[in-house]
Amino acid sequence: MTAVARTAPVAATRNDLLSWITTTDHKRIGILYICTSLCYFAIAGALALAIRTQLAVPGNHLLTPHVYNELFTLHGTAMIFLFVAPFALGLANFLIPLQIGAPDMAFPRLNATSYWMFLFGGIIVFSGVATNEGAAAAGWTAYAPLSEIAVSTGLGQDLWIVGVLMVSVASILTSINFVTTVFIYRAPGMTMWRIPIFTWEMVATSLLIFMAFPPLASDLLLLFVDRRLGGHAFDPAFGGNPILYQHLFWFFGHPEVYVMILPYFGVISEIIPVFARKPIFGYTGLVLAAFAIAGLSMGVWAHHMFTTGAVNNPFFSAVSFLIAVPTGVKFFNWIATMWRGSISFKTPMLFSMGFLMNFLLGGVTGVMLASPPVDYQAHDSYFVVAHMHYVLGGGSLFAIFAGLYFWWPKMFGVMLDERLGTWSFWFLFIGFNVAFFPMHILGVEGMPRRVFTYPDTGSLPELNFIATCGAYIMLIGAILFGINVLVSALRGKPAGDDPWGANSLEWATTSPPPEYNFTSLPPIRSERPVWDMHHPEGARASR
Amino acid sequence: MHALTWPMSATSQSTLLGGDWRLLTTVGLIVAALVWGLILFAAFRWRRRDDREALPPQFRNNYPLEIAWTIVPLIIVGILFVYTYRAEAGVDAVIAHPDVTVAVHAYRWGWNFAYVGGPIVGGPSVGPVDGGAPIDAAPPPQLVLPVGETTRIELTSDDVTHGFWVPDFLFKRDAIPGMINTFDLRPDKLGTFLGRCSQFCGYDHALMTFTVRVVTPKAFAAWRNLPVPS
Repeated sequence: MTAVARTAPVAATRNDLLSWITTTDHKRIGILYICTSLCYFAIAGALALAIRTQLAVPGNHLLTPHVYNELFTLHGTAMIFLFVAPFALGLANFLIPLQIGAPDMAFPRLNATSYWMFLFGGIIVFSGVATNEGAAAAGWTAYAPLSEIAVSTGLGQDLWIVGVLMVSVASILTSINFVTTVFIYRAPGMTMWRIPIFTWEMVATSLLIFMAFPPLASDLLLLFVDRRLGGHAFDPAFGGNPILYQHLFWFFGHPEVYVMILPYFGVISEIIPVFARKPIFGYTGLVLAAFAIAGLSMGVWAHHMFTTGAVNNPFFSAVSFLIAVPTGVKFFNWIATMWRGSISFKTPMLFSMGFLMNFLLGGVTGVMLASPPVDYQAHDSYFVVAHMHYVLGGGSLFAIFAGLYFWWPKMFGVMLDERLGTWSFWFLFIGFNVAFFPMHILGVEGMPRRVFTYPDTGSLPELNFIATCGAYIMLIGAILFGINVLVSALRGKPAGDDPWGANSLEWATTSPPPEYNFTSLPPIRSERPVWDMHHPEGARASR
Repeated sequence: MHALTWPMSATSQSTLLGGDWRLLTTVGLIVAALVWGLILFAAFRWRRRDDREALPPQFRNNYPLEIAWTIVPLIIVGILFVYTYRAEAGVDAVIAHPDVTVAVHAYRWGWNFAYVGGPIVGGPSVGPVDGGAPIDAAPPPQLVLPVGETTRIELTSDDVTHGFWVPDFLFKRDAIPGMINTFDLRPDKLGTFLGRCSQFCGYDHALMTFTVRVVTPKAFAAWRNLPVPS
């Protein structure tokens, strides 16, 4: 039927260790990315529990200040650089060629290179713990001059720079791969206005990655030159400027926030229509909103610097407020997709609902933080910690679980257990809100972020203790997910090609798909070819 | 609820800040409640009761609605921006001739307060036993301000970036090496308030506190003329 369809599947697929190490198959690289990022997530989650345990009571002596500083630095670095962002790259690696009807990525070996750089970059960041002065302890932002050699004397900070640099170069290479693949590898009939929303969001994400990561790389290189080669880029005594570090960092850092959320907007946009049994509402609006968010996100970086007194606050405030508009459009589109639908609450949909409920609060506090006068109180306080976790934990993390439950059958050919999944969801959802909602109030009461202890005043002890309980409730949810994975590996129900009655092309092939993905493709006449194939009557009505 | 009202308003600047906070919280919570309501309503109203249900209507666009939910939020954030812009201008305004001027130097881990015309006070925030010691191991450095008068703060850092934060003033500003940040404080309430370093600065960041004691102008003049304890 098509060029893709003529590609004969390779007879026997090897499954030994060497075949995984040497693989250039986008699905295997995707799965490697996902498993690796989940390992980093487990480590970062354990660090978070140690942090919350230290903060359970005021004046706790469980951890020394230095160890505490290492823990939150590694927690932030791992969650951001090694889990939330790379998980999306892994999922996209697995899905993009399948969703556009392609046999593989445009540059399979470059793709493998990216994965291995990501894996070793992460290991290098963590290897700091084996050095004399321990791992990096200057926060995931590593602000100069704090991260300069005069203050952060340890080798751990250098390893952090090198590791994060490797991960960012890997991300740049991957984003080039994604965009090229989507632009030139689409199957016949798969016009740009028919590619699934997830793939669209990854196009926007990729553009952001190659706008935002090079400034980060230059920032880190300057810092390294300062530390080890006698530079003075950020040293005011020699005409350097600490504000420059912050500008370069946040010129990366804010688009990075959208690198960590746009893919998950895509995940949610794939899942809601399937479980509401309706087409996605406002496809064009969703795509335009993604690009509006991506574009605006390049002009808001200094809202992380409202209290420096060194930036034009009103400008960055105005652009930050504007981002609420396209984000709101997406919310309304998701609700309209559910409207008058026939909604079933299987685990992927449950987690998507969790995403909607949590992310909304993160969005609202985000609009508040767009106002500089609010930042004069809330910046660098636990209010910001709450906001950022509602976006990345309540938002991205819930979408990650939604995506895992949704595409697990496609990746491994077996279902995850619905009952365990539902229990896991409720523990995670309740635990998350118990852990993070009180932090809004902690911040307003005056608790700064990144403190290893706090005084026994006001409601600080009670609220911190509640937050710690929430973290342990989340742990139960995460363990239940781990059990679910084991159960599915041992006796998971076979998935079949299309267990959910889904829309996009990945559900037109076997689970797991063969090498080179497809033996034949259904005709592609809308953004949901598989649904059209199963509902010839509905397909006519919907066009 | 404490967080919703921000009852502490210890300077004339913080009255403006509190107003901005209340407006944004109120609008934010109303919008959130509406959208949460829509999500939950849709989820309950159209939950699938039977897997053999007929296909729901397959609509996918409604342009007037889509334009409306783009324009209306645009207007809302426009209004919020105008309000917030005015509040910020009021807070950041500095007057020509402040009654008192203090050069504040933050360092790892303490605060120096140099009053123009004397005295110079302050010192380390952390007692001789650092780290595990209780926060009140040593009395933290104290900034003394006259109530009802405008004090100019000229803030900088001697090493890494710190942050000057008095939660009861609803205000903070970063202390950045090589740069002087200038702002006015006009306390309108007597009392002693806790100040903290807000920008992470390493080992003892959590203990880098100070206090602000707001006194009557008369008491302030008397305090100023005391010999500095050596």
